[in-house]
Amino acid sequence: MNSMANQDNGSAVVSRCHVSTAVAVNHRLHHLEGSNFTTMPSLFFCILLLGLRVTESQASALAPPQEVRLDADKETQTLSVTWEDGHASTFDVEILLTELMEMVLNETVGVTEDQSTGKHQWNWTSPVPLECTSLSVKVRSRDGQDVSEWSSQQILPGLDLPDNTDSQMYPEGKTVPVGSNMTFCCIVEEGQQFGSLWYKDTLVKENMLSRRTYATTMTNQGPSNPSGTNVVCSNEKKMIIAGAVVFVGYPPLPSDLVCETHDLISVDCQWSKGRNTYLFGMTRQTYYTLNGRNCPKARNSNMRCGLEHWDGNWTLVARNLLGEFRLTDAAELGHRVRPVAPVNLTTPEVYSWNASVGWLWKDKGFERLSLICQVQRTSHLNSSTQTYTGYGLNTVVLKDLQPDEKYSVKVRCGSQKNFWKWGEWSLPLSFQTKMDRPVAPDIWLWMDSDNLGRVLWKPLTKSESHGQISGYEVILWSPEENSQQTLTLPQSVYSLPINVTDRGSKVTVTVTARNPAGVSLPANVVIPRYLPDAEDTTISKVAFNGSGFPLSWVAHANASCVYVVDWYNTSCTQDCNVEWTRVAADNTNTMVQSGNFFAGVRYTFSLYACSSESTVLLERWHGYMQELVPSRTVPRLSPNQEGSDVQLTWDQIPLEHQRGFILGYTVYLTNASHLALLANITDPQLTNHTVRNLVLGSYKFTVKAYTAAGEDGGATVSISLSYWLIMEILVALGTMTCLLIVITIACYRKRKWVKMAFYPEIPEPKLPGDWGITQGTLDVKPSPHSMVHIVEDSVWDSSKEALVTVPEEDEEGTGDEAADTDEPASLRYYNQVVEEGSSSQRRPHASDSSASSTGSMDSGHTDVTYTGIQTSACSLAPMAHFQPQPDASQCVGGGGYRPQMQSASCPEEPHTGPEEHLQAPVGSFGGYQPQCSWKKDSPEADGDGLDQTCLGSPTSVTSSQFLLPYDTSEEGEEHPSSASTWFHNLLTGKP
Amino acid sequence: MSGHVKNMCPQLTISQAARTLISLLLVAAIDSVSAGVVCRKQPCGSSLQRSLKLTKLIHKESVDLLKTYKLSQGDMSELFCQMSINNVPDPNISGLDPSDRMLSIYSHCKAFLPHLKRVTEQQTDLQPPSSSLLSKLSTAHNRTNGLANQINCIYQTLFPNLPIPPEPVDGPTSVPPSQNVFQQKVYGCVVLKRFKEFLSRVTRELRTLKSQVCTRRTTFADTNALF
Repeated sequence: MNSMANQDNGSAVVSRCHVSTAVAVNHRLHHLEGSNFTTMPSLFFCILLLGLRVTESQASALAPPQEVRLDADKETQTLSVTWEDGHASTFDVEILLTELMEMVLNETVGVTEDQSTGKHQWNWTSPVPLECTSLSVKVRSRDGQDVSEWSSQQILPGLDLPDNTDSQMYPEGKTVPVGSNMTFCCIVEEGQQFGSLWYKDTLVKENMLSRRTYATTMTNQGPSNPSGTNVVCSNEKKMIIAGAVVFVGYPPLPSDLVCETHDLISVDCQWSKGRNTYLFGMTRQTYYTLNGRNCPKARNSNMRCGLEHWDGNWTLVARNLLGEFRLTDAAELGHRVRPVAPVNLTTPEVYSWNASVGWLWKDKGFERLSLICQVQRTSHLNSSTQTYTGYGLNTVVLKDLQPDEKYSVKVRCGSQKNFWKWGEWSLPLSFQTKMDRPVAPDIWLWMDSDNLGRVLWKPLTKSESHGQISGYEVILWSPEENSQQTLTLPQSVYSLPINVTDRGSKVTVTVTARNPAGVSLPANVVIPRYLPDAEDTTISKVAFNGSGFPLSWVAHANASCVYVVDWYNTSCTQDCNVEWTRVAADNTNTMVQSGNFFAGVRYTFSLYACSSESTVLLERWHGYMQELVPSRTVPRLSPNQEGSDVQLTWDQIPLEHQRGFILGYTVYLTNASHLALLANITDPQLTNHTVRNLVLGSYKFTVKAYTAAGEDGGATVSISLSYWLIMEILVALGTMTCLLIVITIACYRKRKWVKMAFYPEIPEPKLPGDWGITQGTLDVKPSPHSMVHIVEDSVWDSSKEALVTVPEEDEEGTGDEAADTDEPASLRYYNQVVEEGSSSQRRPHASDSSASSTGSMDSGHTDVTYTGIQTSACSLAPMAHFQPQPDASQCVGGGGYRPQMQSASCPEEPHTGPEEHLQAPVGSFGGYQPQCSWKKDSPEADGDGLDQTCLGSPTSVTSSQFLLPYDTSEEGEEHPSSASTWFHNLLTGKP
Repeated sequence: MSGHVKNMCPQLTISQAARTLISLLLVAAIDSVSAGVVCRKQPCGSSLQRSLKLTKLIHKESVDLLKTYKLSQGDMSELFCQMSINNVPDPNISGLDPSDRMLSIYSHCKAFLPHLKRVTEQQTDLQPPSSSLLSKLSTAHNRTNGLANQINCIYQTLFPNLPIPPEPVDGPTSVPPSQNVFQQKVYGCVVLKRFKEFLSRVTRELRTLKSQVCTRRTTFADTNALF
């Protein structure tokens, strides 16, 4: 055994050497080129071994295969090897790349002899296209370990032979299943250099098969494009020199074969295409046959095929280059009826609420078949389907239609017995139902006040009007007054203002709608009592829950008919948009929904219990769909200082600006941009706040109202704390002082003008001698022969008032107080204005007509009578008319010292009362008029006569005074004694 | 970028509408001409102008056709047109005289027709039935046939004494024998590329011919009128 094994091993070595030598020689012969023999020793060794091998084979009983022949199927890449005279059943086959002498296959195969031909045939599928390069094949017989000699080597020539110079690529245009592996080879044109291989857009690694052939193997290929997957080969210049296209796809996989009849005769089979094959084109697409008949119309997505007669069994075969798939179906005709669509739909009868629809069958067979049909009717409101059954059904009656409504109907049917599928829908038929009287409108009453309100009703919808509404009729009926008022309104009016004054406490409103088909049933409502928010109804808050306002209430016994919830914008005052909804009497909750709710608007919801007798308000809610921050700040924010406290007051934000339930107010102290919270007033009704114990300074306060959504922008007010009252007084005084100072200065500077204007210069009388005016007291001593007798005589009281005599001692007893003295008093006369105090003391005398001219003696109720005074010329002249008086002493005694003003009145004074004297005109002689007869330039003023006449005259004493006429009134006497004196001093610069 | 796209859309719409209108008019004209190849007597300038417009249209469509073709052939198809293929008509117009050059245009048009038809057939087996490439190929074939007929009429009008050879003067450019799929793709690309180049040359040539031939014809006519 060992020797056999060794022998066999030796045979194998010899065989291998033989092959390699033969191939090498063959190769050189074949291609007429090659390298030099560089291994001569090894070649010699091989020849030696070959000789030994020949010796050994002569001893083997197995004959080598003869007549080895190669047949190639390049499309399938199959190599068929046939040989003869091989009496064995096992053979060794060797396949090599002819050019490179690389082993491709070395395999022992079992091949039986074909008895008819006496040949052995063995097929081999090459992974590499057979065109790529030449293959060398040889065979030997094997019987166990005994082998024959190798057959002569057969070569399958490739397309890379030198005489085939073009670039090529293989395989080309093959169709393979997804996921398969494929080897592509590129034969480079003679004279060019191989560059690269690309599969799709991917550079792939290549293997060299021959001098000109390079191959690459792609594994697990994905589906290709409709035009196939490109594999290209480029040269060293990156120019495409050859390419191939491979189509990678799937075999067909249809499903759901269903055959049915539409006319009770023929067959229509349908199936779904199933998986995409990714294969297109005449040669690669899928072809279908049904029961052996081609289905040329089965293309794309329209997978159907028909037969003229019902067979009962059907087989569908789907086939493409990658394979085929079979589907079968079997059924009785009656179980696969799918009627065609009815035709010629008509409406024989159409009414307001129903109509009949008829149709025809194109195939008469359906007239004898129990059918089930669906009628689909579509209006602008909705679409519904009704089902009807019948033998040969071809007419149905549609019920529950809407009057004056356009309908579109279509019909489809199926077999009632062994229902299979609905048939096709017929073409639609349109018709319009007739009109009918409308339904009663939904009415409501909304009272603005006790007697004024509006009747409201909702427009009737298309489904309620049953035809074009032509108008509405409103009836106000008062059973108590037994009065009825009817109003007809056009169709576009949906409200009516009413006044129920003098209509009694119960007024019922009835509204009816009218269309061409008739009048609706009346809708009645009893006018509810007007109840504003403030009155005896609880008002709750209701929150919006996203879809509406959920309202719930306690059941009310009076709600025998229905509950009504109405709502409106709370801040609306006139012509408000009122909406309402009705809730069944057995419900105690509802969800108020409307498309007219807006954020930041307060709505008032009112729940009424309605009955035939009354409408009663039960409950009221306020709510916001969404609360927002107030849209404006608190109005009329004002601070009020109260000592060191400041009270802030403001008004409430108007309702339309609240935009949410005001939850309170926040008071801030504003410092620059920072707000310091002072108080949070959680009572929204409280609209004032006192900030206490503030120190002097300026403050800025901000008040913000807040809702659930937040605070408003805030109203700000400033206040400056100070002792402002004192400051105000001081400012006023200062202002007055300044004003007086200014006036004083002005007058002082313009004193000359003032003097000229108000106190013109009175020339002093030129007196002979030294008549200097002394500022002191003029003491007048009665001359011996001018005795002054003080007598008490009230007759002269009134005539002595002009000249005031002041006693040396200030008398205490002025007025009515009497002072008795017999001594001749030394009279003291002042040539200046008497002090105001003195004057005021004498005012009673001045006003007292009984006072004598010697007021200083008033205290003693005595008059000074100048008995010894010589009558001066100046006094005599004007008093000349007194001369004729028989009793001169009476005149003197009666007049005493008499200033000029009294000269004229002297004779009459005894006869005139003091009142008369006061009333005498000043211009004549009633007033004291100094220098009334003085003329500085008058000759009468010159001469000694003047000395004589004026000597001792009191007129000289007072002539330098700026004497204004005495006012006859009592108050007028003050001026010369006070203001004029001061003014005179001012003007004259005297102190 | 979006703005750019927005601006482009109206232009595309207008151009497409205009193209459709022109196409309809031209197809109507082509049909009337190709039906019986009946040439109406038309002024030289107007007939050449008409052909020039048709050539411009086909050229414009050929650019789009080539782009569509490349997109339909899969990866690396951009390089297909660079490969050399025999038997595809040369885009160059030959001849020295206007008559020769016009005859060359005519013969080229006729030569391209079977190639366009072959490409259409080949692509029918490679593309889905809904592919726009097939309709564009068919359109190009029909319009090229119409252009050939127009050139024929112009040639007969301008050169009434010169017969049109029964075979194209440039020699037969028969369609290639059976090709594998890759060769078909390359072949189609080369055909369409040369077809586009040919139309570009025809446009220039017709413009030149219009200025040369029609002016000369007028001059000749005036000269004849003088005598």
